[in-house]
Amino acid sequence: MGGTSLRDGFAAELGKDLTEVDRVGRLIEEFGERTGLPPKLIYHFTLAFDELLTNTISYGFPDGMHEQITVSVTLDEESLVAEILDSGIAFNPLERESPDITLSVEDRPIGGLGVHFVRTFMDKVEYRREDGRNRLTMAKYLKDSTERESQP
Amino acid sequence: MADEIQVSRPKGRLDSNACAAFETELVGYLNAGSQRLLIDFSDLDYISSAGLRVILMAAKRLKASGGSIALCSLNETIGEVFEVSGFDRILDIHKNAESARAQLAS
Repeated sequence: MGGTSLRDGFAAELGKDLTEVDRVGRLIEEFGERTGLPPKLIYHFTLAFDELLTNTISYGFPDGMHEQITVSVTLDEESLVAEILDSGIAFNPLERESPDITLSVEDRPIGGLGVHFVRTFMDKVEYRREDGRNRLTMAKYLKDSTERESQP
Repeated sequence: MADEIQVSRPKGRLDSNACAAFETELVGYLNAGSQRLLIDFSDLDYISSAGLRVILMAAKRLKASGGSIALCSLNETIGEVFEVSGFDRILDIHKNAESARAQLAS
């Protein structure tokens, strides 16, 4: 499988339904298999989408609001970039504090992990609020050789 | 009955959708008085923070009641998720069920 100079990707419009999180997971997995991405990379993107989309779908649209949730994934030579664009209430997940991961079982609060995973597993995460929409972009830079099959 | 090791072996994916059933399962064991819980990850391909939250809930309850919990057979990627979350430091994670059972029985 060659074509390292080509960009590849996909986009999907989601409904405000938590089963859509599964659909995105399947889309990423199919895309990753088709383009030869390592399973760990696929997992990290699936996890990041899972955490972010679960929040967006669960809390981003109080009743009656227009719903738009668009996810897109773009692969080029250097990176895998994913984006979530939604018309929900203004919410920057990056503003949440990271959990204190040194706390004991008794003291450890239950929440806060999802965004921590996104920050840790992605190389770059950015949030912008524009035109009444949340735009969350995340990227992983692909190391060469072992990450993708490349032409000699 | 409390001394018996109760095993949970979730299959496939523990994402937000699947976690309700997983939580019901663990709560059922705890409400029935189980004090030794083993979660075997041999058949698990994926876990998100939702799954980790259920496990933490069970661990808190068992700790409070003097019981214990152990996890085993995490694949490498899932093991890393536990490390990133810090859960590897507060939960007993074993390579295999034998080792986990030995710890729970002690």
